[in-house]
Amino acid sequence: MTIRTYVKSTLFLALIAISLGGLLLHLRIHPASQNTSNFLPIVSGILSVIVVPLLFSGKKTIGYGYTLNGFLVIIGTIGMAHFAIDHWPEPATFESIVLKTTLPDIIVLWTKFFVGKAIFDLELFGYDPGRSKVGVTYRYPNTGWWIVHLVAISTVYTISGWLWR
Amino acid sequence: MNKFKMFSLNWWVLHILALIFFIFLGHAIHF
Repeated sequence: MTIRTYVKSTLFLALIAISLGGLLLHLRIHPASQNTSNFLPIVSGILSVIVVPLLFSGKKTIGYGYTLNGFLVIIGTIGMAHFAIDHWPEPATFESIVLKTTLPDIIVLWTKFFVGKAIFDLELFGYDPGRSKVGVTYRYPNTGWWIVHLVAISTVYTISGWLWR
Repeated sequence: MNKFKMFSLNWWVLHILALIFFIFLGHAIHF
């Protein structure tokens, strides 16, 4: 086994483990039978555990795996932030906002994004330790592009939630 | 922009579809 295959397998296991953990956690805390909105994390979780690793494993589909993985993280972030706003702690102190909202869950979710990014970047840019990182931050596939999409999707989702109830 | 080939769709088509999807999601999700 080459180091490339070994590192890739390790990252794949990390991706599947965190996705499966998230899916099972969601199934435990709020089953879909209680609220149809709870289907969102279940569908996202199933896509993350099965479809994302399959797309990541093909050379031609790796870009789609990376894109789907990133958008699932963005959807999870927005969904959990929405949940936190609807279940805002009382009284809202710094401690309660940090510890009693979904902020820790959102931070854990971003691990999935960065593991996916590591798989994609290692495949796309190679495993040469001396190679420089180049490219414009706000262009695909760099992190700035994701921040632009996070802000844009959050805005659309929020305005839609206000105007079309 | 011309090199954009995600899902074999044009950039504008993909973004309009995404816009519709996220408008629907914002409307549909209630906690």
